[in-house]
Amino acid sequence: MGSGMWSTDVYTAADRYRRATGKSAFSYSDSGAKVVHPQLDPRDATRESRDSAEHPQSTPVAVLFDVTGSMGHVPRTLQAKLPQLLGLLLRQGYARDPQIMFGAIGDATCDRVPLQVGQFESDNRMDDDLGRIVLEGGGGGQMMESYEMALYFMARRTVTDSWEKRGRRGYLFIIGDELAYPAVKAAEVARLIGGDPREDVPVRQIVDEVTRRWDTYYLLPAGSHYSGNRKVLDFWRGLLGQNALELDDLDAVCETIALTVGLGEQAIDLDTGLRDLDRTGSTATRTVSKALARLNGARRAEVAELPASRTTGGGVVRL
Amino acid sequence: MVVDLGYGDAGKGTVVDWLCANRPVHTVVRFNGGAQAAHNVVRPDGRHHTFAQFGAGTFHPGVRTHLSRYVVVDPLALAAEADHLAAVGVPDAFDRLTVDGAALLATPYHRAANQARETARGADRHGSCGQGVGETVAYGLAHPDEAPRVADCRSPEVLRRRLTALRDRLTAELGPLDAPPVADCLPACLAFAERVAIVDGSWLAGALRAGPCVFEGAQGVLLDEWHGFHPYTTWSTTTFANAEALLAEAGLNGSAIRIGVLRTVTTRHGPGPLVTEDPSLPLADPHNPTNPWQGRFRFGHFDAVAHAYALAVAGGVDGLALTHLDLADRGLDLRICRRYDTLDRLVPGPAGDLDRQAALTARLLRARPRYDDVAATDWPEAVGAALGAPVLLTSHGPTSADKTVRKEGHLINAWCIGRAPS
Repeated sequence: MGSGMWSTDVYTAADRYRRATGKSAFSYSDSGAKVVHPQLDPRDATRESRDSAEHPQSTPVAVLFDVTGSMGHVPRTLQAKLPQLLGLLLRQGYARDPQIMFGAIGDATCDRVPLQVGQFESDNRMDDDLGRIVLEGGGGGQMMESYEMALYFMARRTVTDSWEKRGRRGYLFIIGDELAYPAVKAAEVARLIGGDPREDVPVRQIVDEVTRRWDTYYLLPAGSHYSGNRKVLDFWRGLLGQNALELDDLDAVCETIALTVGLGEQAIDLDTGLRDLDRTGSTATRTVSKALARLNGARRAEVAELPASRTTGGGVVRL
Repeated sequence: MVVDLGYGDAGKGTVVDWLCANRPVHTVVRFNGGAQAAHNVVRPDGRHHTFAQFGAGTFHPGVRTHLSRYVVVDPLALAAEADHLAAVGVPDAFDRLTVDGAALLATPYHRAANQARETARGADRHGSCGQGVGETVAYGLAHPDEAPRVADCRSPEVLRRRLTALRDRLTAELGPLDAPPVADCLPACLAFAERVAIVDGSWLAGALRAGPCVFEGAQGVLLDEWHGFHPYTTWSTTTFANAEALLAEAGLNGSAIRIGVLRTVTTRHGPGPLVTEDPSLPLADPHNPTNPWQGRFRFGHFDAVAHAYALAVAGGVDGLALTHLDLADRGLDLRICRRYDTLDRLVPGPAGDLDRQAALTARLLRARPRYDDVAATDWPEAVGAALGAPVLLTSHGPTSADKTVRKEGHLINAWCIGRAPS
């Protein structure tokens, strides 16, 4: 009782009422939109995760999911569970100042909206980005989606203070159930992302590039279209090793992400994380425990080598 | 109906949240106070919100909030609160809100006047929250036909006239106020009316028939405008009276279960009597930091004298909810005070005799507590016996999962039978 808890600023109040228009989640897609929302368009864009006075130690977390036919319900699951993901990250102290970005992956060879990328946000604005994602359906039907295009964007079009200032990798989660195309096609990059790539980039090379700055995980939900198919899991294990995870239950995706970040930040061990989940009344404990068993104990280096400095100081010259 | 039998902060929010977690509650109705309420609810998943104007059941999907005409409505604080609710996973709080058009509007002018007065009182503060709720009520009583009300937000011209008159009167009395111009306040109030459902007094009767409702009181009975320890009181009736009046209008008087909420320790945020105050208690309240208007959050032993007085003032309860039992489990030497050195019992006087209440306050400020020789072991039993009312619900922690219904709790469990929406 009695605190004057909530701001009474007359200038922001009007904006707040106007923003709170009471639209459904995914209102953009549900309204029949078939083109990428301008805010999520990767064309000529970069995405930045920056420190601020309020968030001095930003930890970037990018979550990109397949939105084609077999996976169309993933974003809705994510949206429903999002508050829980944030709650776990923030209130259990799994990560300092998490900033979350959402994106969606389609098929560059035939879908209308092959890549959509939101901004890194630390508050409920990330919800707005989720709401602007066009849910495709469709897909190419050849067991492949343009994951390589998303990896290319993350590798070459993101800037994070976490890396620039502290040499710490961010977290990248790809949620999908198919293979990537064998190479990033220069023509498709020019059309979708812009810039002027001179040649195709093999998928293995783009994975090497992206994992330098991003701790990259592939989450393959059981029960999705191809997931029983070892070929998909083997393909991603070949690229990401133990960071290709199989999920028995897609509903556990948020908890899996939260615990993976908590493990990576060395804020918890797996048992503590699972206890936290139990305490929040989550039903995902079994799934998460199974998915993450391989990760427990094998932790990434605390600090990767700092980015190469661009100044050429009086270094030793080797002949 | 949930009220606090102390000085506020006993845990009404957590009790209302628990009621909504365990039964199909249709609407939580606020029936006193305003945006200065701060009812903390912590969900088992760690999410936390301090409910000020939205009902404390809002975390539960579909549970509505109704602000009755007895509530002082602050559209600016409401917007900020809804924003925070969205950030903790409740995006549709506005869609589940109804506000009675007859409710008074708290404005930046009331707030500025409240703070100017409280600052002028200096050391002699009343413990106001600096939100302007009392100022709003006082102006509403002095100028009932000109005070800005919620329904005015639908008529820009009427609202402009009333805000201007309000600003001019308060400026004439107190000098220039630290508040924005009327032209800047209008858009926010108009946007509020666009977004929120403004209803008339008959709406509540429909809600009461649609399903079980919870009446959520604000503040505490010991701060009641007529029965509290004057002048350390609030401009609001903190007993069940307003809730009973609303029920009577809907033809349902006397049909609600009355629950009084108490802590195992008696607390007070702000100046005024707290006979059992014990600064040596090693306690702190995470949700009540020191603030410039109320000062320190104060702790004392369980003051059965004061709580029995509150119970008499409120006209009795069907049962009690006892919170913060986890403190009693921590091995602290918490005692129960059954009488003071100069007084055995406090007797309620007639409503409105403020001289009598001020004299009572003076005696209380001099009174010293007398404690039981030993600490209580079975708190629910001891409190129930001291106050002559059964403890129905106990709380051992911050979330609704930490609540236990005692065997006497059949009242609460029976509460929904026959009230569920058909």
